[in-house]
Amino acid sequence: MLPVTLISINNGPNAAMPRIQLANLTKSYGDVEVLHGIDLEMADTEFTVLVGPSGCGKSTTLRMIAGLETVTSGEIYMDDQRISHLEPKDRDLAMVFQDYALYPHMNVARNMSFALRLEKRPKAEINAKVAEVAEMLGLTEYLLRKPAELSGGQRQRVAMGRALTRDSATFLFDEPLSNLDAKLRGQMRAELAIMRQKVRKNMIYVTHDQIEAMTLADRIVVMHSGHIQQQGTPQELFMRPVNKFVAGFLGSPPMNFLKAVLESEGGQTVAAGEGFRIALPAELADRARGFVGKEVFFGIRPSDLDFSPDGAEGHCIDLRVAVSEYIGAQSVLICDCAGESVTVEVKSETPIALGETLRFTVRDDGIHLFDCITEGAI
Amino acid sequence: MSSASNDRPNPAFYALLGTLIFMAIGPVVLMFVNSFKLDIDIISGTSGLFFLPTIQNYEAALCDVLWYEPEHLDYCAIRFGGAFKNSIIIALISTVLTLVIGCMAAYGITRFRFMGRDTVSFATLAVRMVPPAVLLVPVFGLWNNTFCLDRDGMIGGFIRDTFGGRGDVCLAGTHSGIILIYVAMNLPFVIWILQSFIVQVPRSLEEAARVDGANPFQVFYMVVLPLIKPGLAAAAIFTFRIAWNEYLLASALADRDTKTVPILIVNNTSEFNIEWGVIMATGMLLAIPPIIFTLIASKQIITGMTAGAVKG
Ligand SMILES: Nc1ncnc2c1ncn2[C@@H]1O[C@H](COP(=O)(O)OP(=O)(O)OP(=O)(O)O)[C@@H](O)[C@H]1O
Ligand SMILES: [Mg+2]
Repeated sequence: MLPVTLISINNGPNAAMPRIQLANLTKSYGDVEVLHGIDLEMADTEFTVLVGPSGCGKSTTLRMIAGLETVTSGEIYMDDQRISHLEPKDRDLAMVFQDYALYPHMNVARNMSFALRLEKRPKAEINAKVAEVAEMLGLTEYLLRKPAELSGGQRQRVAMGRALTRDSATFLFDEPLSNLDAKLRGQMRAELAIMRQKVRKNMIYVTHDQIEAMTLADRIVVMHSGHIQQQGTPQELFMRPVNKFVAGFLGSPPMNFLKAVLESEGGQTVAAGEGFRIALPAELADRARGFVGKEVFFGIRPSDLDFSPDGAEGHCIDLRVAVSEYIGAQSVLICDCAGESVTVEVKSETPIALGETLRFTVRDDGIHLFDCITEGAI
Repeated sequence: MSSASNDRPNPAFYALLGTLIFMAIGPVVLMFVNSFKLDIDIISGTSGLFFLPTIQNYEAALCDVLWYEPEHLDYCAIRFGGAFKNSIIIALISTVLTLVIGCMAAYGITRFRFMGRDTVSFATLAVRMVPPAVLLVPVFGLWNNTFCLDRDGMIGGFIRDTFGGRGDVCLAGTHSGIILIYVAMNLPFVIWILQSFIVQVPRSLEEAARVDGANPFQVFYMVVLPLIKPGLAAAAIFTFRIAWNEYLLASALADRDTKTVPILIVNNTSEFNIEWGVIMATGMLLAIPPIIFTLIASKQIITGMTAGAVKG
């Protein structure tokens, strides 16, 4: 077990960190534009998580903030200062690289103290700092080893430690936990979450693990093929995704999408699809008025379906259980609804049998509708 | 389990091995043995391995550095000590210069994008294709006539007034002149070797160092250089060996005071009587520095320098 010790990066309780702002940032490699106008404003000391599928431009964005990639157009500001022409070392930031980038000819201690030694800090201070961070990351016994003599997870922790020994105003993390085993990753995540509350620094964190994103972030920025899809607090993104991509990306297991047609029926709006008819709650029906008679995506999260054998007609959906995945307290059922597959999360003690058709109630506030063409939320 | 016939390699294999070893070591052993014989014994060829070893040849070769006067010599004809010093100075300085310039050039060519980069990269190799003999005449002319300090000029005048002599100084006949041409000759290959080592240093290491606050020179000296140490060692062995053995250009450019050991040896054979014993002795002495140098440098050739740096 890792000791939950905290880093004491000494800045006053209310020391202001620079506000980082990206204004219409684009990046092209040759003729290929990989980032298309990124606009992002991060409040100071905010923990921002960039999340998105592989190749969507997360690392590129982070590397531009770090000053490792040139800016094709647009500008990066720190407290209203243009910084996109500055060298990385003049931006006061520390970074954890996706591929570790440890100095192979230095041992762990020297790797972690490299930046401090460049700053010509006093020896005693450097040693104390390295010892403190190594203790926190569980690296104390490896301080004299070279990176080649460490496991992948240990290397990743050294990469983390190298950034954490520094007093930078901004910390950039590029998938720092991606190579750890599940248990260690959980511990490190908790460690980061605790550190997060104590250390008032700007943190920008790239991950494609949505649990990391949800648990750590003050603000999540969902990216997809070079565009920002949505940004906001984890709750906002989870509760009110602006489009089908965000809705499907956040949440595990992912949201189910079923094709449906909106119909008016006795003062109510009903989403009618193959094998189900669900009445919409009044507020949503109001918003969806323009879509009556049109085809939409009916989205529902697996956790918003409740097993209820005698649920009322119009609020329920009948599903045939095809596969049951036992996870522990919860089980994930993969069900069939007129040829479409629907996942449902249920308590494991729920009495179910494979092949049975069961009735599930759809929670009113769990219903999401998306335009079939634009995929925007209704 | 393998059969008996597979366990014992073919006798022909041992025969071949023996021949190769003999071909490689034989001449050296012959030279070593002969360097302890008197000339009469060498030429008559009768004594074979049975002879009375003598260090007379070594005394003759090293007569200018010995603290006593060997009684069998009445005049110190071969000034091996001086030539040895010249060889060391020229080989070491040209090696160091070549490495310093070479690693920076190689780094520039591999890591920075600038106009004409590919041309430069190719041109360094193209220079390598020119045989030294082709360079000999133009270099000789330039070194003797063009790259001179005028005897009436300010510096020339100063030299004349202070040190006496004619006052004009040409590159030819100086250590610098020979060092310069050796550096020029070896640079292309060194740049080429080092380029392939520098490409292997993961870029993200340099990026990490930049974020950690290193300026470009610190990135180069603290991160890149330590990682290409094996390449530097290989290049050093190569350059040192060439500079140490080179005969053609040195023979044209060196004068009495700056001649190197290979020239000394050859000059010695062209005298009226060929002193085989002394030549063998100088040959043995000549072989020592490159061996020591190679042993030291090859300690630095370790593979897997960048292991553990990056994922995968
Ligand atoms: N040097 C380059 N030249 C050309 N295209 C590049 C270059 N570097 C990145 N790209 C492209 O830019 C896009 C974004 O890459 P980036 O590394 O930012 O992805 P990412 O979001 O970090 O993905 P991952 O989660 O896999 O790390 C990718 O489509 C990639 O192919
Ligand atoms: Mg990436």
